[in-house]
Amino acid sequence: MAQSLRGTTGKGPRVWGLVAFKLLLVAGFVVATVFPLLWMAVCGLKEKNEVTRTPFKFFPEVFKWENYKQILDDPAFIRSIGITFTVAILFALGSLVVNSMAAYVFARLEFIFKRVAWVVVIGTMFIPWMTILLTSFLVVSELHLVNKIWVLILPAMASAGQIFFIRQFYLGIPSSLEEAALIDGASRFQVFLRIFVPMSKGIFVVSGMSVFLAGWNTYVWAVITMSDPKMYVIQQYLTQFRGERTTELGLLMAAATLSVIPVLILYFIFQRQIVQGARLSGFK
Amino acid sequence: MALETSPAESRRVRKQKAKPSSLGIGRRHNLLAYGMLAPALIGLSIFVIWPLIRAIYLCFYEWNFYKSNRFVGWRNFTNVLKDDEFWNSVIRGFRFTCMVVPVMLIIAFIFGALARSVGAKLSGFLKAIIYIPTVISGVVASLVFQMIYQYPGGIANWLVGVFGVEAQGWLADTKLALAALTLPTIWVGIGLTALIMLSAMNDVPESYYEAAKLDGAGWFRQQRYITLPQMKNIFLYLVVTGFTANMQALEIPMVMTDGGPAKSTLVPNLYIFQHFRFDATKGFSMAAAFILFLVMGGISILIFRLLQSEKAVDV
Repeated sequence: MAQSLRGTTGKGPRVWGLVAFKLLLVAGFVVATVFPLLWMAVCGLKEKNEVTRTPFKFFPEVFKWENYKQILDDPAFIRSIGITFTVAILFALGSLVVNSMAAYVFARLEFIFKRVAWVVVIGTMFIPWMTILLTSFLVVSELHLVNKIWVLILPAMASAGQIFFIRQFYLGIPSSLEEAALIDGASRFQVFLRIFVPMSKGIFVVSGMSVFLAGWNTYVWAVITMSDPKMYVIQQYLTQFRGERTTELGLLMAAATLSVIPVLILYFIFQRQIVQGARLSGFK
Repeated sequence: MALETSPAESRRVRKQKAKPSSLGIGRRHNLLAYGMLAPALIGLSIFVIWPLIRAIYLCFYEWNFYKSNRFVGWRNFTNVLKDDEFWNSVIRGFRFTCMVVPVMLIIAFIFGALARSVGAKLSGFLKAIIYIPTVISGVVASLVFQMIYQYPGGIANWLVGVFGVEAQGWLADTKLALAALTLPTIWVGIGLTALIMLSAMNDVPESYYEAAKLDGAGWFRQQRYITLPQMKNIFLYLVVTGFTANMQALEIPMVMTDGGPAKSTLVPNLYIFQHFRFDATKGFSMAAAFILFLVMGGISILIFRLLQSEKAVDV
């Protein structure tokens, strides 16, 4: 640990002071990022009055696992998780298919009005969603999508941001790879399926995960379009729970904790790719 | 997310286009191209472009979901412009942004400097840790921080109590509520900013630092004279994106305080959203959204000019 902390900085008597300072900073970052989640999980184990009791104590007097059990026994919770999971999976898969195809076309093919199409696609990124929130709702209600899971999937599936991101990656693939296949008589579409898609594993993980997360965490759009309590997504379940059972803070925290476990598991599985992708999506 | 093609990249694209090839790389593939583009183009047309066209059109009407529309010209816009509450919310949003963005940039800078100065393993660990809150939803972040701000039993009050400050009703006090909302906002948003900052710092050529070290420059002077000037563009990018993102904050203010107490956290998008939900006719809320867009665009350009003009070193 100390070895690692010291890194590439020089030697000398000041080194240990520096190491201690860095260690303090590292601890600060760990506590600041992880503590709220830990606190949420621990509060989920508390009696309802214990959560807000003064003086404040970190650990509960008795670990009340019943909170978690009670939430898991709530059919509304299970239903919300099921709906949200279905939405997020279909959203991510659909987005990958639609946007990777578009990204390939913009990266590799020449066609009529290419520039116009590109400007239109990229232009959609600059439209603040608040300006079209209302008319988007008009459109989905005219298409009879309200209170159906598709209303959370279809509208944001085609995404200029994702097209741009995947295209960046495709532009970096050397064209010599596909030239061999083209000489062998493969079509442009086959090149996409046989060369680009297999090479896209990493980028698909990054893109798919960010879309999955967006689907899992969606709230405001769901508030507008999923008005039927039977169709509530998990975020709506949480705010509704808070509204109806205001004093049950222990239970609420248990529900919130359970709602983040799936995304945390996914995050830790794909952590390396996601962190890499976050940096790529930023500026370059 | 970067919005424009970088010059290096468009150069690369042009080179590819120009390259003559026996494989018909310059050839057009209209049918296949539009076939493969169709799902994306149709999706964007139905769910983004068509709503935008209708929004622009409907701004000039007094309408709701049940009644037929009545053309009112610019009245929706003038109503918004005349509404003090709208301007108050814009100023509030600006204050909120001014609290969030600088703190976020400073934390991200410290994070970047720290992650660069430790070994690879620890740096990898830090990167994984800092991004965790980013995957958490705004709703959950709001609920957790509501707990933390509980009166009187929350952690925030325990913490200030350690320093002898008496317990505060963080979210119930009109003077504190907006500032209290910055914490969950920064918590959720810091991951991406920090990672972008770190990768930008890694892009500064190592030889600059080595030269500075030979000249006897310490850590602070290295940051002052090498890192900061070299990262001018990244700062500009993070300030502008941070500004536009936080001016449009909605979820956390909506879930934590819903604009209260006494409208002290009624940020612009929440103001628009509440008008959208509760007004009898909807033209007003859409006109407000467009005006906000223009205001934001104007301020973005202003920030761009301001920061760009004091350029000390060409990047």
